[in-house]
Amino acid sequence: MGPLSRDAWAQRLGAFRASPSAFMAGPEGEDLGRDLLGDLRSEKLSEQTKVSLLALSLEYPAQLWPDVSAAEVAATSLLDTLVLLPPRPSALRRPLLLAATTALAAGGALGPTSGASCRLLPLLLGLASGSDLGRGFVPASEQRPLQATACECLRELESCKPGLLGGSLGLLRGLLGQEGPVQPLSLLLALVLRNTLVLQSRVGAGLGGLLTDKVSPTGGGPWDWTLVEKGDGRLQPQAPSWPAAEEGEGERSLTAREHSPEEARELRAAVIQLLETSYLLTPVAQAQLLWLLGWALRGLQGQPPALFKPQLVRLLGTAQLTLLHAVLALKAAFGEALFTAQDEALLLRRLTLAAQHPALPLPTHLFYLHCLLSFPENWPLGPEGEEAAPLLLGPQLCRGLLPSLLHDPMALLARLHLLCLLCAEDEEEEKGQLPSPRHYLEELLAGLRQRAALDEGPWALATVCFQASYLVSRCLAGQPTVLTPLIHGLAQLYRVRPMLASHFVDFLDQVDSELREPLKVVLRQEVVSRLGRDEALCWHLKMLAKVADGDAQSATLNFLQAAAAHCTNWDLQQGLLRVCRALLRAGVRGGLVDLLQVLARQLEDPDGRDHARLYYILLAHLAGPKLGVALGPSLAPPALASSLVAENQGFVAALMVQEAPALVRLSVGSHGVKGPLPVLKLQPEALEPIYSLELRFRVEGQLYAPLEAVHVPCLCPGRPARPLLLPLQPRCPAPARLDVHALYTTSTGLTCHAHLPPLFVNFADLFLPFPQPPGGAGLGFFEELWDSCLPEGAESRVWCPLGPQGLEGLVSQHLEPFVVVAQPPTSYYVAIHLPPNSKLLLRLEAALADGVPVALRTDDWAVLPLAGDYLRGLAAAL
Amino acid sequence: MAQRAVWLISHEPGTPLCGTVRFSRRYPTVEKRARVFNGASYVPIPEDGPFLKALLFELRLLDDDKDFVESRDGCSRINKTSIYGLLIGGEELWPVVAFLKNDIIYACVPLVEQTLSPRPPLISVSGVSQGFEFLFGIQDFLYSGQKNDSELNTKLSQLPDLLLQACPFGTLLDANLQNSLDNTNFASVTQPQKQPAWKTGMYKGKPQVSISITEKVKSMQYDKQGIADTWQVVGTVTCKCDLEGIMPNVTISLNLPTNGSPLQDILVHPCVTSLDSAILTSSSIDAMDDSAFSGPYKFPFTPPLESFNLCYYTSQVPVPPILGFYQMKEEEVQLRITINLKLHESVKNNFEFCEAHIPFYNRGPITHLEYKTSFGQLEVFREKSLLIWIIGQKFPKSMEISLSGTVTFGAKSHEKQPFDPICIGETAYLKLHFRILDYTLTGCYADQHSVQVFASGKPKISAYRKLISSDYYIWNSKAPAPVTYGSLLL
Repeated sequence: MGPLSRDAWAQRLGAFRASPSAFMAGPEGEDLGRDLLGDLRSEKLSEQTKVSLLALSLEYPAQLWPDVSAAEVAATSLLDTLVLLPPRPSALRRPLLLAATTALAAGGALGPTSGASCRLLPLLLGLASGSDLGRGFVPASEQRPLQATACECLRELESCKPGLLGGSLGLLRGLLGQEGPVQPLSLLLALVLRNTLVLQSRVGAGLGGLLTDKVSPTGGGPWDWTLVEKGDGRLQPQAPSWPAAEEGEGERSLTAREHSPEEARELRAAVIQLLETSYLLTPVAQAQLLWLLGWALRGLQGQPPALFKPQLVRLLGTAQLTLLHAVLALKAAFGEALFTAQDEALLLRRLTLAAQHPALPLPTHLFYLHCLLSFPENWPLGPEGEEAAPLLLGPQLCRGLLPSLLHDPMALLARLHLLCLLCAEDEEEEKGQLPSPRHYLEELLAGLRQRAALDEGPWALATVCFQASYLVSRCLAGQPTVLTPLIHGLAQLYRVRPMLASHFVDFLDQVDSELREPLKVVLRQEVVSRLGRDEALCWHLKMLAKVADGDAQSATLNFLQAAAAHCTNWDLQQGLLRVCRALLRAGVRGGLVDLLQVLARQLEDPDGRDHARLYYILLAHLAGPKLGVALGPSLAPPALASSLVAENQGFVAALMVQEAPALVRLSVGSHGVKGPLPVLKLQPEALEPIYSLELRFRVEGQLYAPLEAVHVPCLCPGRPARPLLLPLQPRCPAPARLDVHALYTTSTGLTCHAHLPPLFVNFADLFLPFPQPPGGAGLGFFEELWDSCLPEGAESRVWCPLGPQGLEGLVSQHLEPFVVVAQPPTSYYVAIHLPPNSKLLLRLEAALADGVPVALRTDDWAVLPLAGDYLRGLAAAL
Repeated sequence: MAQRAVWLISHEPGTPLCGTVRFSRRYPTVEKRARVFNGASYVPIPEDGPFLKALLFELRLLDDDKDFVESRDGCSRINKTSIYGLLIGGEELWPVVAFLKNDIIYACVPLVEQTLSPRPPLISVSGVSQGFEFLFGIQDFLYSGQKNDSELNTKLSQLPDLLLQACPFGTLLDANLQNSLDNTNFASVTQPQKQPAWKTGMYKGKPQVSISITEKVKSMQYDKQGIADTWQVVGTVTCKCDLEGIMPNVTISLNLPTNGSPLQDILVHPCVTSLDSAILTSSSIDAMDDSAFSGPYKFPFTPPLESFNLCYYTSQVPVPPILGFYQMKEEEVQLRITINLKLHESVKNNFEFCEAHIPFYNRGPITHLEYKTSFGQLEVFREKSLLIWIIGQKFPKSMEISLSGTVTFGAKSHEKQPFDPICIGETAYLKLHFRILDYTLTGCYADQHSVQVFASGKPKISAYRKLISSDYYIWNSKAPAPVTYGSLLL
């Protein structure tokens, strides 16, 4: 495809910007990155169009060149395009440099193995140092802008790969002292200096000659990546340990960074050089410089923070947000070492002033207010990370920062917070003040409620009122003198504007019980005191569903009875039933039974009647706790956004058995051989507390008689449970698989059913001993059994391999209970009873080193292969 | 200290989306750092569409914002700064710096160089103040001298190229975008060394310095026992210095007459090179006494090329320029109003204009009006329920004027008459609008002879002054009125 026209590109870029993901998924997506690189060299496109193509690549390199290799190819192509530009002024050089830098840094291709990186870095450094790159590469008119751009590119690369320019420190410093553009070089030098200090201190090294070495790090040779490698590619945060010091970081910064006197002197000289010319930088750039240098020098021996002092007075006088913020960062970094108590007080005053200065815009005021409440004090008293008024910010200083109804909502809330903090402070202090802040707070809240009560008032007014009330309740918890009027004021607000029920419900959900419980009481009184005939019935019902509980039952029920007559539509009936439900949950029974019966008969809507009947049935049949669970919030997310469906799912969850993942594990323990039947010993283990556990077993293939269920009253994780005994009644002597189901109740009252992994009954689990014959009669008894097996039974000989323990070990481990005659260590006669009525007889004699021949007889043909497998498997089990 | 992305969104109520993204710019290298710094708490920058929707929702600027939505309106979701968390695709993008001004929403997302959970305090995020400055800079650029939509569009179309200069990689280099524009337009060939970064070129021509002092006076008057009336002067000193040389030094002194009111809360432009500590500490927070520093206020600086605000100040003058009372009483179907205004004798009685606006909120249109005035004319805006008393250029010799009358209102119709959450019932105010040229309330003036300029050639120095009213309220003394804490301190 040939190059696109200007319009075609404009259209294409427009489509891409509208939704990059959609465009890239479309047919044109794949080629965009390639076409863009190609058309940058087209002679048909204007420079303006090419700049717009490059602008796109500056924003979306990840979409255009999604992987490292593509980014590398793109950067190479961009560099080629740059080199091929004719030697006349062009608007493309700057954006091409920016684009190549972006492609490498954002695409993750920047590194020693990347060819493009190895071309770009020396090129940038050459441009930044203003050296002649030959062949008219840079037209004279572009030299300075490109020098600045190259510095910016290097700074971005250094940000993404700290240490990249560590070797150029001396060179950059030299440039700053000579002819270079001040701002780009200052910022680059400050960043490289900071990164190098951090990286060197990490390996316990000083700066060495880095600050004085004025040779280009490449020196014609390859780029030096050693510092980058020392940093493991870890990025360097601007203020690494503000507010809370990272573990160990603080200590290291104090101890590991030792510099020789010469190093320290050079470093100080470099910092002073940067600070002294900082007024030539734009305010935002000055701020960056201060952040960088402040946190780089923090804790550095031999670098007194007083270096910053000459800048401070100048900075404190300005209203520039970034500058004052940078001063606060210095304050946080150095504390008392840079700001004496008087300085701290002055800074606080300037901040207080800026937070209310009429010449500054609202967002600035709000940010300064935040800074005031998070002010990095020299000697903070309160817990770290919590907003608090600084100690020096007394009531006098705060006077102009207090809220009034005329403020914008955000300003009002921010200032209200300050007022609350003032009120929360020592009450003693407050007595002297007129008017008392607490009184003022009360008036303000009353004003807010009055606005929220306005009929036509926008919701935002109500929202602010509740947010303010919440803020007050949180800051002034435990102060009845504040909370009591708040509660009554809110009750009054509800009386005037019940439409705000949603806000009230949310408010009740958020506040502490200290406020919630009394507020619920007054709100309930507020609702139930209005009998029937109210347009706001739906809000009252919503409110009551939240606040109704076991108290004041009769008033609540009276209200509901009266309301029932007015609940003529589905909505209202549902509201009414929700209140009934809340009462059910609260354990109200008496009068509610009657009400539900009435509702089940009288409600117009059949759905409502059904619901009332359901509640009635639940009330009549379920015990209190179960009822509570049944009516609790539904566990399953509703499939439909309908209250009924949601509620039904809740019931289903509570009243029916739930399929659930198994909360219990069973393992088979050693089996006992006492008694007339084989018994499986099971060890249960619970993952959560469970109650009334019933384990049900089913034998596959009906090999055994049906098994009884096993009951456990309660299982708790971590508490050892007694083993469960499961007697088996084999119908034939064969191993089997048991299907296991568990039925249990969770601590939340739900009944659950779970399918557990199957259990296996092994052949040996069925072994029982014959009754022991009287002493000395063993041999005769065995011979009798031996002979009785034939002719109906079967006989066989098996080679049983022996492990290192020999025959004696094998017998004692597996066959001990069944040995009838023993002549250790050479000969054992073993008789095993296999229920229901089979026998297995073994003679183990004349053992060799690696095995023993076993003669075996059984009266049951079917047992023979099982016995053979068993014996052969014994050695493996040893 | 960098921005991950920046947006300009026009708020268009009534359209399907309620807004359009007019400009956006992403910074992928910063985004890459964000992913590393934020770790598991990283949330990517969304595409414009989802961002627009989430931001308008959070700022409550969607048309269907009538219902209570817990995630936004919940009482515990308290936002005390212009910095938001936006829910996008189930994740919360934070911090989003955003504010609405002149129907344009300015928004950006600063880089946070650590994990976002738990959220670090905003004060420790260097990118936040930079983000604000960036947005303010764009705002200044868009609205400086801009008069209509097409000019706004032109300026918006210049933004991509300007940001290539002012913020190529997400780290802001200069908040003054006009500088970048000049830089693009006149690529300076022979920029000498030590050229300040905030001064992109050099002035050639006749040297001149212009200083203009604008004072705004605001006031809240209650005419009530127990509540003090308040008033305050806010001054802005704007300079334009056309001087040759790389870094000409200028010192401007602001002077007060002998009985002038001291300047306080002085904030200066960053180009001011040093400040007297008396200027730095003179503050309205302290109780006034006679020892307050009363000038001259010297500001040595190196001026930028463009016009700039050298300093802002406030001042507490002893009396408000116009003292008034307003009484309004509901009498059955009508309102009876009485207004009295008195110009203080020390104030220059020569207005460019002077008007009293008397709005009636939360009521129907004015249907009937009977009035008597001692001076000036009354204009009636019936549908807007507003009276404007045009006082004109001069108060009469007595310096005192009055207006009284009765107003009757029709039935309320919600669309037309203004709503106000404060003016309920008899709570009401009148607002004064006036302007006096060549006058300051504090008496503050820039003495042309004390302006020192260290540059070649003797510059022509011109100085201007004016006083403007701003938020000058007189509340109905017969009803409750919103007070500030300061009004209660008698």
